[in-house]
Amino acid sequence: MIFDLTKLIITIPFIFILPGFFILLAIFGWKNYRVSFFEKAILVVPMSVISLDFLILLLDRMKIFLSGPVLVAVIIAFCLTCYIIFQLRFGKKGGKKDDGENAAQDPFDFSRWQTIFILISLFLAIFIRATYFSDTIVPSATDMGHHMFWVQKIIDTGSLPDYGMPDFIIGEHTIFAAVNLVSGASVMGAMPMIVLFFMNIAGIFALAMLAGRMFESPKIAAAAFFAAGVLYAINAPQGKYVSGGVVGNILGNMLIPAALYFLYWAFSEKNSVFAGLFLFSLTGLLYSHHLSSFILLYSATAIVLTYLALNFTRIFKIIGDWLKIFLKPFPIVVLVFALCFLLFVFTPSYFNSAAVGQATGAPTKITRVGLNLSQLEINAGSARLILGALGFALLLAGLQRKEYKYGFTLAWAAVIFLMSWKPAWLYVNVPSNRIGNYLFLPFSLLAAYGLAEFIGFFRKSTTAFFSTVLLFVLLFFVITDGLSDSAEAFKIRPQFQEAVQTFHSAQYLAEKLDTSQDILLKDHVNIYGDSWYKLFFMKDYKYPLSRGMLSRYIDPTKPREICTRDMITIPETEAAKKCFSETGVNFLALNAQLEGNSFEKYPEFSKVYSSNYISVFKRN
Amino acid sequence: MSSKIIVITTIILLIISFSVLFVIEAKNHDFDYKKSWSVVYFENPRDNSLDFTIENHEGEKMEYDYEILIDDKKVAEDEVGIEKGAKQEIIPVLDLYKNSPANITIEVSAKDLKYRIYKNLGI
Repeated sequence: MIFDLTKLIITIPFIFILPGFFILLAIFGWKNYRVSFFEKAILVVPMSVISLDFLILLLDRMKIFLSGPVLVAVIIAFCLTCYIIFQLRFGKKGGKKDDGENAAQDPFDFSRWQTIFILISLFLAIFIRATYFSDTIVPSATDMGHHMFWVQKIIDTGSLPDYGMPDFIIGEHTIFAAVNLVSGASVMGAMPMIVLFFMNIAGIFALAMLAGRMFESPKIAAAAFFAAGVLYAINAPQGKYVSGGVVGNILGNMLIPAALYFLYWAFSEKNSVFAGLFLFSLTGLLYSHHLSSFILLYSATAIVLTYLALNFTRIFKIIGDWLKIFLKPFPIVVLVFALCFLLFVFTPSYFNSAAVGQATGAPTKITRVGLNLSQLEINAGSARLILGALGFALLLAGLQRKEYKYGFTLAWAAVIFLMSWKPAWLYVNVPSNRIGNYLFLPFSLLAAYGLAEFIGFFRKSTTAFFSTVLLFVLLFFVITDGLSDSAEAFKIRPQFQEAVQTFHSAQYLAEKLDTSQDILLKDHVNIYGDSWYKLFFMKDYKYPLSRGMLSRYIDPTKPREICTRDMITIPETEAAKKCFSETGVNFLALNAQLEGNSFEKYPEFSKVYSSNYISVFKRN
Repeated sequence: MSSKIIVITTIILLIISFSVLFVIEAKNHDFDYKKSWSVVYFENPRDNSLDFTIENHEGEKMEYDYEILIDDKKVAEDEVGIEKGAKQEIIPVLDLYKNSPANITIEVSAKDLKYRIYKNLGI
């Protein structure tokens, strides 16, 4: 166990830090006064994730079998190439010459108290999450199971899968496959959650980096660690998304702030290198998560339009400036590189007009017409929403049209709020609660600004007693409400016993069944961790068949397949018998205490497996 | 300097968290670690053979009684002691061709536990 753990601990920085470090070295040199050590330490993770995706996509396109040694060799070769570029570009100067005179003020030069505040925030953020994960660490989450099937497929075949459906994106699986291939850490272990945990913490850092850079303020960056890391640490899209295996959102929550950081730098510093890195991040996001890419594109458009609207009199000059930034060699090279990848190397499965058409336009389902205000409050969290609204108001009050930070923050928050609240206004046709999860990003930023400014405001106040009382009342509310979900981390009941019994039954069936003849139907409704069944068979994504949540069988817009429901719910009926005959289902895995008991009265079934939790029946 | 302290502290906290989670998962993924359950199953679920296995994951050595019933009539019984985490395969010797039974049931019990598997051969 210790050896496996050591390999995993070494593999994570090798894959998720080293490539990013060397790509940043090639771009910025050893010491660059524009980008601080803190920013580079944060950016290495998203840059590594994107670089790794590109490397794996390229290997697959070249028909090279993906294996551990191949990946190690390619990552080392990539790092060496970056190092050679660094040497060629910067030589012995190591990049020191760059921007030395124009050194920007480091907004990450924290004071002692700010450092202590950040360390406490990080300790709480990591401790609360780790405590929660300790009760859910044995693989069981449905989404994670679905994703890990594809990861295992990559591992087994040494090539990237053809999903045949737009639901999955390759970047959601390459990172786990790479960790497995290099370290040997099983996908049916702690590895997937550990990797997502790492990405989640990297996302908090990315958001704090964006906050610090935009507002050029260490105290706002420090407050961002609290707003993004500690408040609602368990609720979606944080701890629950990590343990639930909502891979795309976790990656998106790290890559969106990183991309906006580059965009902000590109605009505010008129720097084409950052413009290129924005395009690089956007392309990486396209390979990682469609919804996050959609959110980023909407956000970037809103930011651009808002800034132009705020500076309407200078619109042509601004557009000209932006063109000058983006029409430089580096962004053009990145753009051409991205287009080549998207067109000739690997086209994401959702890249088609039908998928775009489905996501845009008037909402077509009740779940897409928008969230009401109380739902929005639940999504963003009351404390975060209140602090964010405070930050929004303060920013609006002090609006300076020429400064990008105002347009960036206000437009970002406003567009995601509108996409969640009134999606029809923006022609968004995506489940509103999924968009609502992204409120976390801009509202954490605004909350950090609001909190820092609020504390600063009361510090200056002449009536010290009054201001202190008000401050403590606010902080009391923020902390009690913002940490209320964290209490869950300490009181959930682990279901390890159920999970291992599910795995045991799956292992039994995988050994005993002939999957070319036998068709298995399992019950997703009442079996814990059942989505991991398919990893024991590795036959097909849709094997075994599954009785889904009952609400999924009711769709007023179109008829749904109901056989998988009826064969478990009403197996004695003629309709179910017809289903058995049509589907060929001859084995059923059921919860022993629920359907398992009721199935014993049907004479056409034999009970071939019986544990405390799972019963398996064979149809004679 | 403060940035370096934050980054290094985060790395240390993450390594500790990852290690703890890894160990917790590895232990709890085990069929026996802090668990209490048993399982009975036919070795060949696809045919009419009656070989079956009892697995003990109760956390202690268990004595299992089992009975074999043909069409609800007890035709054999025995008991078997199984160590913690171990399993025992049992091969019943029955003459099934005389009566062409419709149902053969195996009932396994231990303390307050009861497991039942059966094959309906007459259908």
